[in-house]
Amino acid sequence: MQELFTQEKSIYLQISEMIETDILRGILLEEERVPSTNDFAKLYAINPATAAKGVNILVDNGILYKKRGIGMFVSTGAKKMILENRKNAFYDNFIKGLVEEAQRLGISKEELTEMILKTN
Amino acid sequence: MSNLVCENVVKKYKEKEVLKGINLSIEKGKIYGLIGRNGAGKTTLMSIMTAQNPATRGTITYDGMEVWENREALDHLCFSREINSVTSFGPNNQKVKEYFRIASVFYPHWDREYAKELIQRFGIDEKKRIMNLSKGMMSMVTIIIGLASKADITILDEPVAGLDVVAREDFYRLLLEEQQESGRTFIISTHIIEEAADIFEEVIILHDGQILLKENTIDLLDRCAHVSGLAEEVDKVTDGLHICHTENMGRSKGVTVMLEPGQKLEKTAEVTIQPISLQNLFVAMCGREA
Repeated sequence: MQELFTQEKSIYLQISEMIETDILRGILLEEERVPSTNDFAKLYAINPATAAKGVNILVDNGILYKKRGIGMFVSTGAKKMILENRKNAFYDNFIKGLVEEAQRLGISKEELTEMILKTN
Repeated sequence: MSNLVCENVVKKYKEKEVLKGINLSIEKGKIYGLIGRNGAGKTTLMSIMTAQNPATRGTITYDGMEVWENREALDHLCFSREINSVTSFGPNNQKVKEYFRIASVFYPHWDREYAKELIQRFGIDEKKRIMNLSKGMMSMVTIIIGLASKADITILDEPVAGLDVVAREDFYRLLLEEQQESGRTFIISTHIIEEAADIFEEVIILHDGQILLKENTIDLLDRCAHVSGLAEEVDKVTDGLHICHTENMGRSKGVTVMLEPGQKLEKTAEVTIQPISLQNLFVAMCGREA
């Protein structure tokens, strides 16, 4: 939760990714309460509506759930879900870009495969 | 529910039309950012909205009541203007303490305790005279008046001008805290757009006496993007879209686009599509043609 914002992405997306990363790293545990939107607003000096939008993405995904009058909690199985989502996004975000850049540079598929295999 | 509404507000100073038919409605419980270039009419608009300056034409209402010379409506409004070290009667040698005392009489919901707390937090010496304050100290005084007024709609004119970065951060946090606790509405004008963009739930861009847009900040930035690459490729991707700004250099081209509902930017390997900050968008919309 202590990461710094970049200009590259909307703040609310960064908020939701930070919460996800904290769940993956075991900073936030399943069935544990996450900071409130007001906590986020104060920590980062952002409008609470922005923080709420980031949190709500995770509620819609089922990664967080709402307990009435208490706050937001990490769902059981959230870690697995996040890993699954990130694996799916990995293809779109990294592999496609990787292949496109390779094509621009005239790197053949064989060469590219070779490069990946020799990386540790 | 709409709270403070401007309808066709026009302001002329002699022959010069400073506000050219403003329609604006300010809703309860939000922080609005009012941005615009120097001379766009921001201060004039804010002073007219709070009846400190008469409109040439048009009406301003608070909860349906006209605000002009209406105590009942004005009790809910606060416009904390910039303080100057010189008034039209000469140097401003009023003491800070006296300045706050007048504010406490003027604003019916004035919170003495809160004001005291803020004076301490900012380290303001109340015995000083206004003309001897630094620019940053003057800004702090206007911030304290705005916050402690506890007015339902509080308008601050460039509250962070002259403040150092630590004091600015401090102000943003105080503002968010107060807004969350009280649900009050704030309208903040500023030239430090990049910092404040995350504070504003909605942004209002005033350009040349007209409202260019008023929109939820996140939604606005989500529908704007910068597209760059070989000119023909950029044209292909942005064909039929609303283009705010174009830069050309040789064969390359960069454009700032604003998508309408239902429109989409097709990602291709030939062009780079990047998100855009509020400051970049503002320059694209209100800057000079390159």
